[in-house]
Amino acid sequence: MLEIFGGSFPLWIQGIQNSLYRTFVEKDRYMAFLKGIGVTLEISFFAVLLGTAIGVMVAVVKHMAGKHHFLRPLEWLLDAYVLVTRGTPVYVQLLILNTVVFASVKNKILVAVVTFGINSGAYVAEIIRAGINSVDKGQFEAGNSLGLRDGAVMRLIILPQAVRNILPALGNEFIALLKETSIAGTMAVNDLTKAAERIGGATYDLYTPLLSIAVIYFVLVFGMTRLLGVFERRLSKSDNR
Amino acid sequence: MNLLEKPTGGEIWFEGQNITDKNTDISILRQKMGMVFQQFNLFPHLTVLENITLAPVQLKLQSPQEAQNKAKGLLERIGLWDKAGAYPGQLSGGQKQRIAIVRALAMNPDVMLFDEPTSALDPEMVGEVLELMKELAKDGMTMVVVTHEMGFAREAATRVLFMDEGKILEQGAPDVFFGNPQHPRLQDFLSKVL
Repeated sequence: MLEIFGGSFPLWIQGIQNSLYRTFVEKDRYMAFLKGIGVTLEISFFAVLLGTAIGVMVAVVKHMAGKHHFLRPLEWLLDAYVLVTRGTPVYVQLLILNTVVFASVKNKILVAVVTFGINSGAYVAEIIRAGINSVDKGQFEAGNSLGLRDGAVMRLIILPQAVRNILPALGNEFIALLKETSIAGTMAVNDLTKAAERIGGATYDLYTPLLSIAVIYFVLVFGMTRLLGVFERRLSKSDNR
Repeated sequence: MNLLEKPTGGEIWFEGQNITDKNTDISILRQKMGMVFQQFNLFPHLTVLENITLAPVQLKLQSPQEAQNKAKGLLERIGLWDKAGAYPGQLSGGQKQRIAIVRALAMNPDVMLFDEPTSALDPEMVGEVLELMKELAKDGMTMVVVTHEMGFAREAATRVLFMDEGKILEQGAPDVFFGNPQHPRLQDFLSKVL
């Protein structure tokens, strides 16, 4: 024991210090982590936007198709989209989109955003559809009875209530998306996971960077959870009785 | 009558227009037909004031300022202006239904449809809603009311119709309708509820 605790610090603590130094400080490697966080957040943010836009559109069209029959063909198309997207792994989708569909696109971050956006859209569509169904039918009727058209009723009355009901599920989807982006590094995208791999390769120490990004991902998700909590409280202000 | 339910047959005419015609823009006509529901159907995510001003402002029938003034006048009339910033969840059933009536009134409708407006209310709250409806009737508002409140029908109606299984069995002025019912089904009904 005495040997281990010899010197000013125990050896194992010195070892950790050393690893951390090489992983973060040496050659300013922390910059690679910061840039990685930036890329991961960038991909996640825009993919969430795209996924939400797609999801809302799909859900609304599918809902309206019940009443407006000319939307039926579009509904079948969207059904196929949801079926295929949910039925195949996102990793495979990424590889296909990157090497086949967008092979000539240089901006790989864009490819990642599109892939994860399209993927997430299918899940968000189902969540929003559940949300729309959770709103009382009387709300549609009341909106229509005031002379508002279906689009306005959906936008002003149904969707705000739907989103409130499904926020926890939606939050889940966004969190999953943020973590899924860790496979973006298989293309030439320097996201957080890729940064860790590269630094691990340079220092011959993969443990430290991988454990570090695990912590970083956790903190990012934790921050997101908090943000969603704030939203949820805001939206439930009309619940006061 | 405003096509929230699709009729299986027949025609409905409103201000010279055939509502049931496929080419009629029902949304435009609905602006002139207020509707009050059994379950109130206020928008729970909006304040009382927003509930009332949403449609007139959205449809550009009134400016936000006009709509607000109109809402204020109506809310003051029913004594609920102090609830303008409250959410429907904070109100009693009677208050909700009176605000639903005001929401329909804010559109300046030519006719108002009431679908059993007091059926979901506490007995204590029925009075305040019927009182407001009687006032409207006195002011000359045309109202079509589906109701089980026979006393109210007798007092406020100009014409009473009795329906059973989708058919009008008897209709007439309230004193004749209640005083001298002809159809056995109506006689049976009145003997049970009066």
